[in-house]
Amino acid sequence: MAVKIVTDSLGDIPSEVAEELGITVIPINVLFGTKSFRDGIDLTTDQFYHKLKHSKILPVTLVPSLSVFVQTYDKLAGETDEIAVITNSHKLSASYESTLQAKELMKKKCRVEVVDSLWAVMAQGLIVIAAARAANAGAKLDEVMALARRNIPRADVRMAFDTLDYLKRGGRIGKAQAFLGSKLRVTPILGIRDGGVFPFVREHTRAKAIDYLYDFAMSFSHIDELAVEHATTPDEADELAERLSSKFPKERIYRSKVSPVIGAHVGPHILAVSVLGDKG
Amino acid sequence: MKQADSITGQDLREMFAAATAWLEKSVADIDALNVFPVPDGDTGTNMLLTMRSTIEEAHQAPDSSASGVAQAMAKGALIGARGNSGVILSQILNGLAQGLAEKESFTGNDLAEALSKASTVAYKGLSNPVEGTILTVIREAASAAQEHASSVSDDVVSVMEATVSAAKESVANTPSLLPVLREAGVVDAGGQGLYTILEGALHYLKGEVEQLKLRRPWMVASSMPLTAKMPQMVGAEEVPYGYCTEFLLRGEKLDPDKISRRLKDKGESLIVVGDDSTIRVHIHTLDPGNVVHYVTSLGTLHQVSMRNMDEQHKDYLEMQKERMPALDIAIVAVVAGDGLADVFTSLGAAAIVPGGQTMNPSTKDLLQAVDLVASEKVIILPNNKNIVLTANQVQSLTTKTIEVVPTETIPQGVAALLTFDYETDLETNAQNMNRAKSSVKSIEVTRAIRSTRLGGLDIKKNQAIGFLDGDLVAVGDKTDTVLNEVLARADLNAAEVITIYHGADTKPAEAEQVGSAIRQEHPQLQVEVVQGGQPHYNYIVSIE
Repeated sequence: MAVKIVTDSLGDIPSEVAEELGITVIPINVLFGTKSFRDGIDLTTDQFYHKLKHSKILPVTLVPSLSVFVQTYDKLAGETDEIAVITNSHKLSASYESTLQAKELMKKKCRVEVVDSLWAVMAQGLIVIAAARAANAGAKLDEVMALARRNIPRADVRMAFDTLDYLKRGGRIGKAQAFLGSKLRVTPILGIRDGGVFPFVREHTRAKAIDYLYDFAMSFSHIDELAVEHATTPDEADELAERLSSKFPKERIYRSKVSPVIGAHVGPHILAVSVLGDKG
Repeated sequence: MKQADSITGQDLREMFAAATAWLEKSVADIDALNVFPVPDGDTGTNMLLTMRSTIEEAHQAPDSSASGVAQAMAKGALIGARGNSGVILSQILNGLAQGLAEKESFTGNDLAEALSKASTVAYKGLSNPVEGTILTVIREAASAAQEHASSVSDDVVSVMEATVSAAKESVANTPSLLPVLREAGVVDAGGQGLYTILEGALHYLKGEVEQLKLRRPWMVASSMPLTAKMPQMVGAEEVPYGYCTEFLLRGEKLDPDKISRRLKDKGESLIVVGDDSTIRVHIHTLDPGNVVHYVTSLGTLHQVSMRNMDEQHKDYLEMQKERMPALDIAIVAVVAGDGLADVFTSLGAAAIVPGGQTMNPSTKDLLQAVDLVASEKVIILPNNKNIVLTANQVQSLTTKTIEVVPTETIPQGVAALLTFDYETDLETNAQNMNRAKSSVKSIEVTRAIRSTRLGGLDIKKNQAIGFLDGDLVAVGDKTDTVLNEVLARADLNAAEVITIYHGADTKPAEAEQVGSAIRQEHPQLQVEVVQGGQPHYNYIVSIE
């Protein structure tokens, strides 16, 4: 029986890719006031950003109740005897913690291994995709987990922000607080370090910020997987993917939308590049 | 629990037990915020220990009335209070108990009244209450509770919701009330702690058991940047910190007011609270012996604690490394004008040396700034041709590693500063900054100090003159006309951003007009007009 791969919707894996590779994605909820939406199920990404822009209420994000996790694993346990769970960083959501607890509460017998990817968005997604490919090619659970662990330090991501307001209000700004309060209008470039939000540079214009994302991807000596994500600016993402095709086959570049649960914290206009590969 | 008209003593205890567990999750985060009154990084821990003692005692309550439990909690808080915020928290709980006196259970209205009492009692315990702290947070939260209860709803949950939401806002606002927080770019730690406790209580009231278990408390972010200069400079006026001295005094007919008066001159951050049989004292003093000597004459001492705050401060500095992106490289910039200094600071410069055209700083001035910053590696941005040489001399006078990025104008300095990458080493950063400085065009408009002939142009004294990248290219009577002339010479079609810094002698309205004109003519451009406040130059403009 093939190893089943489970992750959460912070990984931004496009649904068609998840379906094709047989990845189970646990949706993290988005709450507008008291109304809860399951990421990607009750609320499409476009609807969400429209609401985010026009609603006075700030959305918050919440991992689903433990029973959702337990049910997911129990259901998969009927189809396989080995499950690999790759979660987003424990510093960004309670997904990892919930997974560990749910594992104890499972009714069916099945081996479940869990790893905290220490990433989110497609930096997490690419690690999951690589694990799923290995599982589909016949790798056993230990091999899949070893691969995922090897890939964690090989992933990286940079995100161009329009504003840090959402990140600040959502309470997950981390070290990027160093970028608050700028007296000039700038485009901050953030990423993730040690599982937390990390500030890299500030660019003065959107165009320069996109150049930075391009240079970031180009700085890799070898690329396994590459992803370009946007929230509300598909044309920018298209253009960037086109430029990156000089380095990496365009048809292999994953194109994804930043999911609402991330969007609630980063705001619209986010543009991100994730790479799984080697530098230097 | 869910939806209740009134809260019983048992609910009260469970609610604060949940709040204590909630607080525990963010103890480390709260510790790291602690810069006032002394940056010793223990506020979260102290508040948690105070709450633990509070809950322990709550279990010993003589009856299960709200009043009985609240009294027991107040007693537990007083006995177990630790640190400045812990003692103030114990006063808040004391006030709460007074407010709930003789109540079997309480409604939203009662809660609002009790919070208001809590605020009053908290203020009363301090000889010198400071705003922008936990005190402000309890006061504003209580006043929101009262307003909600009297004009919106008496429902306990909805009153608590209003309280928590006001507390959060109040915490976010603390840096604007207390300069030391503003400098450090943090919110008040005690305020955050109180907000977290109230939030935990609210989660319990709403029956959000899973949230309590799985989520983590919300850390309110300051809208000010965390500053690299913070660790060593904050609270510098109180150095050396001395000993944080705390104890419980038991005796008969004790007089808190009298003790407070006697200890007032013996140290900082004095708090004396309690009744005639049990009094808690907290003081930061250089001579704890003196304090102890006096109080032993009044009764018996319990839970005596003296902590060396200078030692604590060292641990605190270590703790800050977890919060800052990096402290190992600092940037020192030479800038004239309040507005421009703000721009540089907001973009991450650790120190500003005042100076510029006609007011060049000395090597010593630069050296002082380099010595002052916390980092061992320093990048200097001279931002003026005549200061580059001076900056180059600093390296021979210090053991720190210096890189001078020879920026000759303010726009070059800003462009260089923006490129700074927290993850990159000194050399690479310096290289990137060098490259960035040449990607920007600079315009400077000033008035001639004497009549002369320069660059083929006749200039009369006091006429406006405009430079493009250091070359004189325009002369005229009005500064805005000259600026427009220089802008016409620069190729704006390839540009993306224009930033206009107007000087101390220039009317903001005139600068706004120049800005609007550019926007109209070049709608693709991002035009920013910024108050630079620089002397000498009416306009400094960057074209990128």
